[in-house]
Amino acid sequence: MNLENFELIYKENRVKIKDKAKIRAKLGEIVGDENVSDKEIDIFAYNKDTTLITLNWTLEGKIAAQPDFIVWPETPEQISSILKLANEEKIPVIPFSEGSGVVGGAIPIYGGIILDMKKFNKILEINDKDLTVTVETGTNGMNLERYLNAKGYTGGHIPQSLYTSSVGGWIAHRAAGQFSSKYGKIEDIIMGMELVLPQGDIIKFKTIARASTGPQLDKLFIGNEGTLGIITKATLKIWPYPEKRGLISYAFPTFEDSLEATRQILRQQIYPAVIRIYDADETNRHFGHIEKAKDKVMVVFVCEGIERLVDLEETITRETCKKNNGIDCGEEPVEHWFETRFKVTETSSTPTFKIVADTIEIGFLWDKAADMYHSVIETTKKIQGVMMITAHVSHFYPNGVGFYFTFAGIPPKEKTDFEFYQEIWNCIIKTVEDAGGSFGHHHGVGINRSKWMEREWGKSFDTLKSIKKLLDPNNILNPGKIYESVWKEGGEN
Amino acid sequence: MSDILDKYKWMGPIIQKMDRDTKRVFMKNFRMRDKNFFPEGDYKADVKNLVNCMLCPNMCRFDCGTLQAAKSETISPAYKARIGYYLTIGKIDPLDPSNKEFIDLMYKCSNEESCKVWCPFEFSVVSLLETVRDDLNDKGVMPDYCKEQIKKLKETNTIEDHNIYETYKEKGIENIETDGNDDVYYYIGCESMKFPEVIKANIKILKKAGVKFSTNLEKKGCCGGPAFNIRDLKIAKELANKNKELIENTGARIVVSDCPGCIETLRNRYQKVGIEIDVKFIHIVQYIKDLIDNGKIKLEREIPDEYKKVTIHDPCLLARNLNDTESIRAILNKMPGIENIDPIYNKQFTHCCGWSGTVHWADKNIAIKEATNRINELKETGAVVFISACPECELGLAYGISEKDKEKIKIIDISELLMKVI
Ligand SMILES: Cc1cc2nc3c(=O)[nH]c(=O)nc-3n(C[C@H](O)[C@H](O)[C@H](O)COP(=O)(O)OP(=O)(O)OC[C@H]3O[C@@H](n4cnc5c(N)ncnc54)[C@H](O)[C@@H]3O)c2cc1C
Ligand code: SF4
Ligand code: SF4
Repeated sequence: MNLENFELIYKENRVKIKDKAKIRAKLGEIVGDENVSDKEIDIFAYNKDTTLITLNWTLEGKIAAQPDFIVWPETPEQISSILKLANEEKIPVIPFSEGSGVVGGAIPIYGGIILDMKKFNKILEINDKDLTVTVETGTNGMNLERYLNAKGYTGGHIPQSLYTSSVGGWIAHRAAGQFSSKYGKIEDIIMGMELVLPQGDIIKFKTIARASTGPQLDKLFIGNEGTLGIITKATLKIWPYPEKRGLISYAFPTFEDSLEATRQILRQQIYPAVIRIYDADETNRHFGHIEKAKDKVMVVFVCEGIERLVDLEETITRETCKKNNGIDCGEEPVEHWFETRFKVTETSSTPTFKIVADTIEIGFLWDKAADMYHSVIETTKKIQGVMMITAHVSHFYPNGVGFYFTFAGIPPKEKTDFEFYQEIWNCIIKTVEDAGGSFGHHHGVGINRSKWMEREWGKSFDTLKSIKKLLDPNNILNPGKIYESVWKEGGEN
Repeated sequence: MSDILDKYKWMGPIIQKMDRDTKRVFMKNFRMRDKNFFPEGDYKADVKNLVNCMLCPNMCRFDCGTLQAAKSETISPAYKARIGYYLTIGKIDPLDPSNKEFIDLMYKCSNEESCKVWCPFEFSVVSLLETVRDDLNDKGVMPDYCKEQIKKLKETNTIEDHNIYETYKEKGIENIETDGNDDVYYYIGCESMKFPEVIKANIKILKKAGVKFSTNLEKKGCCGGPAFNIRDLKIAKELANKNKELIENTGARIVVSDCPGCIETLRNRYQKVGIEIDVKFIHIVQYIKDLIDNGKIKLEREIPDEYKKVTIHDPCLLARNLNDTESIRAILNKMPGIENIDPIYNKQFTHCCGWSGTVHWADKNIAIKEATNRINELKETGAVVFISACPECELGLAYGISEKDKEKIKIIDISELLMKVI
C-alpha cells in the first residue's frame, strides 16, 4: 500500500529502529511467529483509538500515528520478555486492549510496539462466597457481563462502552460505569491484580477485602494508563443479579433544582444505581418526544437490588424529587434510555459534515457545581465556530458530581480541525481548573489532557514523575502520555 | 421521513443560533457532503454505510465471531468497513498487487451476522462487504480461492471438485426421482452429502410420516449459495435457474432442506436477483416438528443413555436469518428423558461454527479458531452430545474439537437423534 496517500498526524520524534528484521525475529522468538506482525494491514489497523478527532481524520484519509510492530502475547512472562527487549533496544511499547479510549491513550504517537492484550481473555474463576470474579484483563466488558449474568451475577460496571472496552482498559483509565452510584467505580470494584512492570518484573497484589499492610501501592496502577505497568489479571467484585429494578424519571424546571434534588437524595444515603441529569438542551435532544419534559431538565433514576430496598429507595427518591419541583414523567423515559444507551450513531455522522465534536467529563464538588457548569457553557460558546455545548451529569457522590460536556463545531477558516479541537478542549479544561474542579472524571489523561497535569496535580506531579522515572527509566512504556505534552498551545485565555 | 425530521428536530435551534460564518460553512458542508466523502463513481459499493460503519466505535466487536477468533483489530467490523471504503474510493488501490491482503480482508467474514444483532444501524457487515466484492469482481481482482470455488461450481455443478451427488449410491442413499406430483421436495444440500446418515434419517422420517416426496439426486446441483457469497452473480443466476426448473418440475408446494444455507438462498437470495419460485421453503426441522405435532411421527422409544444429556448448537443462519430456534427445541422436548442444557450463547445469540461465508477460504486458521471457540462454549454445558441442524456446522465444528476430545464428543443432526426414538 502507498502509505503516502495518508497524512500522518503525529510524525515527530518517531523512534528509529535500525534493524527491524532483527527485532521482528526476537519478538517472534518470544511470542511465536504467528503472534507478531509488521504487515501493513495490521500496522494500519492500530493507527488510532476512538478519540473522536481521529474519526474525522479516518474519513479524510489521515492517520493519527503508525506503530512498527503488533504483538499478541499470551502470558505475563511473554510480556516481561517483550519489555526487557524494548528496554534494551529503547523501543516504545503501547498496551492496547479494545481501543475504545477517547483521549489517545493507546495511540502509538512515536511508533514502536503495540502490545495487544486481546489474547488475555479468559474468565478464570467465580467465587460465590467471596463474590469475586478473576479474569484476564483483555476480556471484553460485555462478554464478562454476559457470562456473569448467565451465572446469576452482575459485575455492576456498565460503561457506555461496555460492548467495546476491556477490563484492562477500565483499570488503566480508572473508568466509571453508568450504574456506579450503587456499585462504585473501577477502583472500588477491583480487589486484586497481577501486572508486569516496565522493566519486566511481574508483581501481584493480593485479593483481600481490606488490609492495613502499609501504603496502598496497588492504587498507583489504577489509572496508570499503561505507563507504569501492564495489567494482566484482575479480581473484581461481583453482585447477585438484581431482583428488582425501579425506573423513575422527573423533569425539573431548572438545572439547579435537579442538582439540589439529587444532592439531597444522596445525602439521605440513598444510592440509585443510575442517576443522570440532562440539561435543557440535552433533554430536548434525547427526550424531545416527552411533552412534559419540553425545555425542562430531565433526570432518570434506576434503583436496583432486593425488592424491599428498591421500594424504599424509590419512595425516598420520589419524595425528594417532588419536594424540589420535579414533575413525574413515569417509566418511559428510563425505558427509552435503556433502549438507546448503547446505540452510538453520532460518531458516524458528524465527521461527514466536517463537524468537530467530542465529549469532556470532569469532576466537581457539590458546592458551586452549578456555577462551574454555567461558566463552561458560557466560555465555550464564545469560541468562534462552536455550534453546540451541552451537558449531562452522569456520576454522583454524596460530596460531588461528574459532569459530561458534549461540544460540536466547525473550525473557522484560519484553523485546522485539530487546532480548533485543541482550542475547545483547552478552554473547557481551563475553565474547570479555574473553578476548582478536576479536568477528568473517567476518561483519563492520555494525550488530550497531559498538558494540564501540572496544573491539576501541583507539586505532587513531580512525585509522580519521579515514580515513573524509577519504574521506567528508559521511558519505553506508553511515552507521550500523562507526563509530557505534545499538544499545541491555544484556547487557554 | 417524518421519523428523521423528528429525530433531528432538536438541531433546529442550534442551527438558528449559529453565527453567520459558521452557518455558512455548515450549510456548505451539508451541501458538499456527498461530493466530499461519497463521490460519484463507477462503483457498486455502499459507501455511505461503509462510512457509517467505519466511524463506529466497533460497538458489535464483542460478538463478532471472526474478531473473537482472530483477536486482532484487523478483523474488527469497523476496520473491515474502513478498508472497504478506501478500496472503493481508491485510497488503497485494489489493482496494486501489494494490496492483496486488503482485498482478502473483504472476504474474512463468516455470514453469521452477529453484528446485526447489536448494530444501531442494523448492519450486517458481510452484506456491506459484498457490495465491495462486487466492485473487486468488476475490476478483475477476485481472489484465487474464490475463483477456485467458481470453477468447481461450473465444472461439477457443486462446491466439490467432483459432483458429490453422484456418490449417493456408494453412500447407500436412496434416490427418489419425481413423478411431477410431489407434495414435498426434499432438497439435499451439497455439504449434506458428506453426512449420509443425516440424509438417510430424513428420508426415513419423511417416509414414515407418509409424505409424498422426491430427492432428484440425478439432476441435483448446488443452490448457488457460494456464488452469492463470492458475488459471481452470473453463475449464481445460472444455478438459480437450474434449481427453479428442478423444483417446479416436482410439482411440490413445499421444499424442505437439511441445510439452512440452501433455504436462505432459495427463499431470500434468489428474489434479490429477480428469480421467483412460488413454493414454500422451510428447513426440515420445522417440517418434522409439524409432522410430530400432527401425530404423523410418534416418538415411541426410550432415548439411549449416552444421548440423554445434550446441548444445542443453533446454526446461525437458521437462528438469525430463518428465525427458527424453537423447532429443534420442540422436537427435543418431545423426547422422553432427554436433558437439554443450552450453552450461554444460544438461540438468536448463537455463535458461528466458522464455516459459513467466505472466511474459511480466505483464512482457514480464523475459521478453525472460531470453531474451537464454539466447541468450548458447548463443552462448558457439560454435555458431550451436540445437536445441530446444518451440515456446514457439523463440518466446521469438527475442526474445533481437539484430538483428545474426539472420542468423547458427538456432533449429530437432530434427525439422527430422532431416529433413535421413532
Ligand atoms: C462510545 C463510548 C462510550 C464510552 N463510555 C465510557 C463510560 O461510560 N465510562 C468510562 O469510563 N469510559 C467510557 N468510554 C471510554 C473508554 O471506553 C474507556 O476509557 C475504556 O476504559 C477503555 O478501555 P479499552 O479496553 O478500550 O482500552 P484501550 O483504548 O485499548 O486503552 C486505553 C488505555 O489503557 C491502556 N491499556 C489498555 N489495556 C491495558 C492493560 N491491560 N494494562 C495497562 N494498560 C492498558 C492503553 O495503553 C491506553 O492508554 C467510552 C468510549 C466510547 C467510545
Ligand atoms: S456493524 Fe454496526 S455496530 Fe458493528 S461496527 Fe459497524 S456500525 Fe458499528
Ligand atoms: S458478519 Fe460475522 S464475521 Fe462479519 S462482521 Fe458480522 S459478526 Fe463479524
